[in-house]
Amino acid sequence: MDKVSNKMEIRQISKTFFASKGYFVAIEDVSFDVRDGEFLVILGPGHCGKTVLLNIVAGLDKQTGGRVLYDGTPMDGVNNQISMVFQKLALMSFKTVMQNVELGLTFRGTPKNERRKISQKYLDLVGLTGFEKSYPYQLSGGMKQRVGIARAYANDPKVLVMDEPFGQLDAQTRYAMQEELLKTWEKDKRTVIFVTNNIEEALYLGDRIVLLSECPAKVKAIYPVDLPKPRDMTGKIFLDLRAEISSNTDLAI
Amino acid sequence: MMNLEEKKKSGLELFLYWGLPILAILLVVGGWLWFAISNPRLMPNPLQVYERLIRTFTRPVAKVNLFGHAFASLGRVLMALVFAWVIGIVLGILIGWSRVCKAVIGTIFEIIRPIPPIAWIPIVIMWFGIEEFPKVLLVFIGTFVPLVINTAAGIGLVDKINIDVGKIFGGNRFQILAQIVIPTALPSIFAGIRTSVSSGWTTVLAAEMIAAQHGLGALVTRGWQGSDMALVMVAVITIAIIGAFLAFSLNKLEKWVCPWTK
Repeated sequence: MDKVSNKMEIRQISKTFFASKGYFVAIEDVSFDVRDGEFLVILGPGHCGKTVLLNIVAGLDKQTGGRVLYDGTPMDGVNNQISMVFQKLALMSFKTVMQNVELGLTFRGTPKNERRKISQKYLDLVGLTGFEKSYPYQLSGGMKQRVGIARAYANDPKVLVMDEPFGQLDAQTRYAMQEELLKTWEKDKRTVIFVTNNIEEALYLGDRIVLLSECPAKVKAIYPVDLPKPRDMTGKIFLDLRAEISSNTDLAI
Repeated sequence: MMNLEEKKKSGLELFLYWGLPILAILLVVGGWLWFAISNPRLMPNPLQVYERLIRTFTRPVAKVNLFGHAFASLGRVLMALVFAWVIGIVLGILIGWSRVCKAVIGTIFEIIRPIPPIAWIPIVIMWFGIEEFPKVLLVFIGTFVPLVINTAAGIGLVDKINIDVGKIFGGNRFQILAQIVIPTALPSIFAGIRTSVSSGWTTVLAAEMIAAQHGLGALVTRGWQGSDMALVMVAVITIAIIGAFLAFSLNKLEKWVCPWTK
């Protein structure tokens, strides 16, 4: 068997917030590896720690303990190899769809023609052809989320971090987006770190699932999911695994 | 049935959009007429005001007709606004973006800001006399304050997540400020511009009422001191019309500059 190489290593990360009236532990001693090219899902109940953890992994937030290694070197701040799809979309309301997708390329000073070409490719990929000149307020929730995904891809990251990207979508759109995301991923095999609170979504997408506990967030278990994709959500192994993870999940209050 | 409902609703909309406003204007004109007829010495009637308006062209006040006076006021406002917009927006951005600037300039500003522009009149006149510069300076003070406040507030309110997006996509501090933070704050900055224009229009009139040969404020003073109520009314109505026109143009400008705010 090939030796698996780690793209990122998360080592004993903890995060405590201090306020005037005491402190709050959001994350405690979380460790896991992110393997090169894998689709890693972080599954956690409720509202505890997931976004904070992702922000630390992406270099937006500072941990109070532990280290994050990227290709073996400790991270300090953001890294241009890591791109992110935000839970709250965070599209620029004053930019058109095209300009939103171009954001990273614009910052890097890529010439306009090339910028357009790359962005168009990803807009086509997420099915937004024809909406290049629209503003975000003119789009539905699902379409906005696709802009966020295209924006992250257009930046050509080695690692794509996705924070509950489908959380705000209706069930139908959600399934469709999951399938499209898988197709895109199969094509270019980027490393993906995907956060969700939905067990089915985790099982449908993930090569491995890191299950977090309720506050403070700790790693409860890591489940490899050795099923071919696209997965049959009614297959026996799928359902057994679902039951196993489900019984091990803390109830969110 | 559905159509009937919609028709009824659109009738109500029409009444709210046109009927009531027209009714309100008629009410004001009616009140004016009633007041003018019952107190002819205190209030000229609309016809007399119209005649006075014509006379501002046939026999100009201070050698300048009504348009000349209006342009004198507008010119002062415009000159002050250009400076206020540039300096006010830059200062507002600095206060909103940099904590050091907020601590230094912001503090000074918090002290100056509650002073109403009109309170500066005696100070400015004593320091700079009654030439053109002190009037423009007064308008500048009146317009610059709301701009700094709105710009700084707008910049300060930009959601942290927008800045995070900028960082993730590799923007440096300046790129994030110029391409994310300032555009996000643009609607707030525009609110400041709108306030600055109306505040400037108010301040210029106050400044002109105290010391000026030309300008709509000078017309008001002239009419007041000569017991020429009709001239006061001509000036006041011109002030109102120009003020409304400025507000209207700014709304159009905002839609053009910020097309994403519906």
